[in-house]
Amino acid sequence: MKPKIAVFDFTCCEGCQLQILNCEQEMPDLVAALDIITFREVMTERSDHYDIAFIDGSCTTESEIARLKEIRQRAKMVIPIGACACLGGVNCFKNLHPMEDVLKAVYGQAAPYYDTIPARPIHAVIPIDFFIPGCPIVKEEFIRVVQEILAGKAPYLPNDPVCAECKMVGNVCVFDKGQTCLGPVTRGGCKATCVTGGAVCWGCRGLIDEPNINAEKEILEKAGLSIKDIVEEFSLFNACQEDVWK
Amino acid sequence: MDVFITSKADFDSSIQRMIQQNEIYGVKRKTPSFAFDRLVAAEELCLDYDITVLPPTKYLLPPTESLIKFKLAPEPSIRSSAEAQPCILIGIHPDDLHAIKLLDAVFTGSLTDVNYLARRRATTIVGVDCVNPWPYSFAASMGTAIPPRIFDLWLTDLGDEYLVEVGSARGEDLRKRYLKTRRAREVDLRQRNKVRQDWLKKYQLSLDMPPQEIPKVLDEAWHSPLWEELGQKCLACGSCTMVCPTCICFDVRDGIELNLKEGERYRRWDSCMFDGFAKVASGENFRPTGTARLRHRLYRKGKYMLERYGELGCVGCGRCVHACLVDIASPVAAYNRLAKEAR
Amino acid sequence: MAVGTELGSSLFLPKLAELLKVEPLSEKEKLFQLRLKDGSRLNHKPGQFVEVSVLGIGEAPISISSSPTRDDSFELVVRMVGNLTGALHRLQPGDTVGIRGPFGNGFPVSELLKRDLLFVAGGIGLCPLRSMIQHAIDKREQFGRIILLYGCRQPAEQLFRGELGEWRQRPDIEILESVDRCPVDVAWEGSVGVITTLFPQVSIDPGKTTALVVGPPVMYRFVVAECLKQGIAKERILLSLERRMKCGMGFCGHCQINNRYVCQDGPVFSYAELSRLGEAEL
Repeated sequence: MKPKIAVFDFTCCEGCQLQILNCEQEMPDLVAALDIITFREVMTERSDHYDIAFIDGSCTTESEIARLKEIRQRAKMVIPIGACACLGGVNCFKNLHPMEDVLKAVYGQAAPYYDTIPARPIHAVIPIDFFIPGCPIVKEEFIRVVQEILAGKAPYLPNDPVCAECKMVGNVCVFDKGQTCLGPVTRGGCKATCVTGGAVCWGCRGLIDEPNINAEKEILEKAGLSIKDIVEEFSLFNACQEDVWK
Repeated sequence: MDVFITSKADFDSSIQRMIQQNEIYGVKRKTPSFAFDRLVAAEELCLDYDITVLPPTKYLLPPTESLIKFKLAPEPSIRSSAEAQPCILIGIHPDDLHAIKLLDAVFTGSLTDVNYLARRRATTIVGVDCVNPWPYSFAASMGTAIPPRIFDLWLTDLGDEYLVEVGSARGEDLRKRYLKTRRAREVDLRQRNKVRQDWLKKYQLSLDMPPQEIPKVLDEAWHSPLWEELGQKCLACGSCTMVCPTCICFDVRDGIELNLKEGERYRRWDSCMFDGFAKVASGENFRPTGTARLRHRLYRKGKYMLERYGELGCVGCGRCVHACLVDIASPVAAYNRLAKEAR
Repeated sequence: MAVGTELGSSLFLPKLAELLKVEPLSEKEKLFQLRLKDGSRLNHKPGQFVEVSVLGIGEAPISISSSPTRDDSFELVVRMVGNLTGALHRLQPGDTVGIRGPFGNGFPVSELLKRDLLFVAGGIGLCPLRSMIQHAIDKREQFGRIILLYGCRQPAEQLFRGELGEWRQRPDIEILESVDRCPVDVAWEGSVGVITTLFPQVSIDPGKTTALVVGPPVMYRFVVAECLKQGIAKERILLSLERRMKCGMGFCGHCQINNRYVCQDGPVFSYAELSRLGEAEL
């Protein structure tokens, strides 16, 4: 029996779902191995009888809470995908302001007709079975997780920091170029793709299990960042993990 | 000793011909540093470089490497994926060659790692003396600034010419096929000794003791406050080990295709600085603190490797000194400090 | 580097083995009986381990719990703790696994000849010791007394209950058993308390005795202290260590304790040696 798969979107840009669609080479094998029954971005058919629910996006409205609870009841496995679903992601920026102000800023006069709550990652609302981090997710990692689930294995979650992979691919350290980076405390598994591409690591995959935050702050300060800069750097993706880094 | 001289102009055209007929990896600019990479044109090659981001050992023990390939259906079967394409590595520095000597001892000693052996045999080594030691290196004081005799060809920059020393039959074959050389004279050898002595003086960091003394210093240092001091600052990012030419630890993992019929087992660089490195399946972690991990790394470099393989685990390249963002990885700083504590 | 000679076969290449028997021993442990498919014998020594593969899932070090003196098959006891052991527990007789090894030094059998053997097993630690106990039983005349102190958390966790029963019947084996606690409704004839409570119940001749100790790390310090109190020499207290033996060949670095590789130099070490290794914490 092929496992029945559903992909759901919550508050997000849906880019992680696009990453699944970007698995062009593997798509024939994916559809041979999985029964994809709900995936709004690619098909009109839908069904409520699924085994594995992949969830893109964070939870930012009351109605999303109810929807998540229903998914949890139906699915054998719930797997958030991407920074929004795993960390709250950039949506958590709004948490810095009163919700009424946020509604007014976005919807103006129509604000009373909308519902909003502080953004939260999926695991803050319902129990999850695994998660695939990243903004967006890395398609190779998505494929690997599917392979491992099919093989009856608990998927592997990298816990080595981005720095290690950044070195493995042979990048010059961004600190050597006068830039700053969250690579030393961010969960790897992305092959340091941002640094390889000429950028820096902004921490989209979340913090490693035991980050040395004090040491990271020290190197950011040494590189010339103010306390405010450092807070901003951590807040971009990791606002919901404030208790760990603040 | 088979020693020759080639002009730099001749050498460049030799490299160009070599590139056309061989797979060559050489040192190229990777601003603001350098890196070993596939050479496409002779002018890319920088032989007066200071350091490469990763050591050339990445070609002998790649970041990820398939160990076995298997099929599960129709019948289970397994085969080794040890194989390697012949290649030439050009521009290896003496300290990195010392590291390769240690890797040889580890992987082709009492037990043979055939994946390593296949790559090692397929690799022709053309090294070069280090003209511009970078500020973080302390190779001169480690005794690793002069190459061990495990090269195929060795180059020394004499200004307008390279002195070419042949170290093996394979090196001699390479010289005959590609290089336009004349025999070196006594004066050329004297010149090489002189420039080598000059470069040795350029190293800015140095170990305060003969390198063979490091184990003795460490014998007394197990309970030093240094470990706690450094361990607290450690990011456990693994950078110091990833850039190290003698770091060889790896993890082994299985991958399986979506059809669940075939897959491979591969190894991937691992680091004793990661917090889960010594954790067993039942959850027990035998090296749970940064303090313990940092101490282990510096003992492995300065003592354990020597005891086991007859070569120190640190060749003084200085990559870790520079790669560590919190300035705690330096073996030379640690050993010097511990020697001082002992006195 | 010599060119041209054969590379030799890869030490990473497992041999295929067939599962002959799978038997639950307790809630979490199963016994697997295996035979190599190429017809060769494993040729192991008591106390060694193998790397067991479920292809596609991974590989894990498992100690061999049967004696080479038995037949051309071998037995492993696997506790379900992770991916690989979970996958093993799902396998059935007739299924295939990969085996590399045997690895490690094993117990120094020749040094144990004529000695009194004091086996101290904590929980699943009985499994590696069983290979040596069986060996000593099969070559009974070569050894002195055989004493087994076996401690578990509770009676239901006792392994090899059938075999233990047979051993208890033998006049030439002395067995003392303990559990940390015993539920009121369970019949239990042994002691209640940690394993060290068994030591005062047995009288040994320390000069003739070698202790073979296997159990969880936390047990070692207390058992070693008891052995020393009994007068057993440091060199005659042998412990088998669990570490993350990944490659089995001293390459990968995971099982290192100071300058020792547990996969090659161990897993059996004397207390004399371990007391000199800071990282053994004994």
